[in-house]
Amino acid sequence: MGKPSGSLLELTLAQAAALVKSREVSPVELVDACLARIGAVNDRLRAYITVFEEARKVAKAAETMIAAGHDLGPLHGIPIALKDNLAVKGTRTTAGSKVLADWMPGHDATVTERLRRAGAIFVGKLNMHEFAWGGTTDNPHYGACRNPWDTERFPAGSSGGSGVAVAARTCYGAIGTDTGGSIRLPSAINGVVGIRPTYGRVSNHGIIPLAWSMDTAGPMTRTVEDCAIMFNTIAGHDAKDSSTSRAPVSDYTAGLQLGVKGLRIGVVPGYFFHHLQPPVHDAVKGALKTLEGLGADVVDVNIENIHGNISAQLTIESAEPSTYHQRWLREQPQNYGEDVRSLLEIGEMLLATHYLQAQRYRTLLRQEFMEAFKKVDVFICPTLPVTATKVGAMKVIIENGVEEDMLSAIMQFTGVPSLTGLPSLNVPCGFDGDGLPVGMQIIGKPFDEAFLFRIGSAFQSATDFHKKAPKI
Amino acid sequence: MASRKEVTPALIVELAAYAELPLAKGRESVIQPTLEAWIKDANELSRKMSAEKYRDLIPATVFRHPDEPEEGG
Repeated sequence: MGKPSGSLLELTLAQAAALVKSREVSPVELVDACLARIGAVNDRLRAYITVFEEARKVAKAAETMIAAGHDLGPLHGIPIALKDNLAVKGTRTTAGSKVLADWMPGHDATVTERLRRAGAIFVGKLNMHEFAWGGTTDNPHYGACRNPWDTERFPAGSSGGSGVAVAARTCYGAIGTDTGGSIRLPSAINGVVGIRPTYGRVSNHGIIPLAWSMDTAGPMTRTVEDCAIMFNTIAGHDAKDSSTSRAPVSDYTAGLQLGVKGLRIGVVPGYFFHHLQPPVHDAVKGALKTLEGLGADVVDVNIENIHGNISAQLTIESAEPSTYHQRWLREQPQNYGEDVRSLLEIGEMLLATHYLQAQRYRTLLRQEFMEAFKKVDVFICPTLPVTATKVGAMKVIIENGVEEDMLSAIMQFTGVPSLTGLPSLNVPCGFDGDGLPVGMQIIGKPFDEAFLFRIGSAFQSATDFHKKAPKI
Repeated sequence: MASRKEVTPALIVELAAYAELPLAKGRESVIQPTLEAWIKDANELSRKMSAEKYRDLIPATVFRHPDEPEEGG
């Protein structure tokens, strides 16, 4: 024990957990280091809505337990942070909103409970786009969350606080939620790893919904191995969430060293590398070359109806939240931020036929991807077409100086797994000329998260993008 | 096919009334550009999905029939 806190924060989750188990590092040291780091950077980053100073007491108990030979599990004594739409019993859970500013849940979300049972220590609740309905985390109630690589830039969202908290070394892992890209977008923009699980692999019980038919929760970490460790603790059927599957759960760390020799990577010509900022194009193409160098093959695969996915995504993602928020929008519209209020109003004006045609399109797109998986093992594409834009921007320029609507633009690639229910993993794969991170998205077959972790781990074994830290 | 109806602020006020959504004054102009763009795209998707070859596709959202009793509520 007695390592300087700076070096403790550079440990990966796996390294920190091993040192706790061997009693070389105490959970108290880890929690002290994280709380000190949060105190040092949170005024600038606005990653946390609530900080749990009482985590020190929990850490002391964890230290006592490990000294007495009681190991709670793979996350024993590890500081973890939660997006503020996950219920924590007796603790304020705002979903980034004024509407729920004082809500104190009477129970834990299932993900919260499973992490707690595995020994995790919660250091705080994280900032997010209000009610998860948006991709900037420019939160009007709790402050605009900022990107640690450049605090004038946005962190994406909606799990922006989760991405920032991990990238800025304030915790060893965080939980985000993902409906249309809300784990993968901030993972890419902040240079961290994040997985959107297969729909139904992780329980949504106790999580404030955005769009029921696409909502998922998953871990965000600095390495793929860390992500797999956290995923092991939260994946699996939950009787409290009827959308969860009884499909068997793997040990998601078991295959991390198996490599990618013979892997068939699908790319969709005319879509995956079309309409991108050049540094994003080059970084993801470079990642494919790296994987080819490790023994993988890249194969062109046509998905006939991939165009149209953004409209389907926006239709579903506006109709479902507007249904959930129907009463509040009538009773307290003034308590919503301007952008979320507008999106909720818009969702009330789409037709039922628009919604159901979008749901039929999901069936079509899923069928086409499942057919394509006979030819390839995974698909790889950029996670989003741009690097971080300025805080407050509502438009984005992708090419030829043309301004585009931010929300539609950033969902260009993340909408596909959201609509099809397929799992997808963001892995950092480069930086642009301003030193801003770029991420690639690996899309897999249903319940094949272990395979995604295996590919991501092989990539991180051959590259060092994930080892670079923002200077904040 | 009917000609496309422009999504005007006045139409939005009417749509809000149909939904019994009290829309504060001026909100119709705020949401008009986005709603117009999204409805145009949604109509295009609806035309695609109305094609004969997709007649048998059912929506992705379906009721589930659990084959086992729930555990522990």
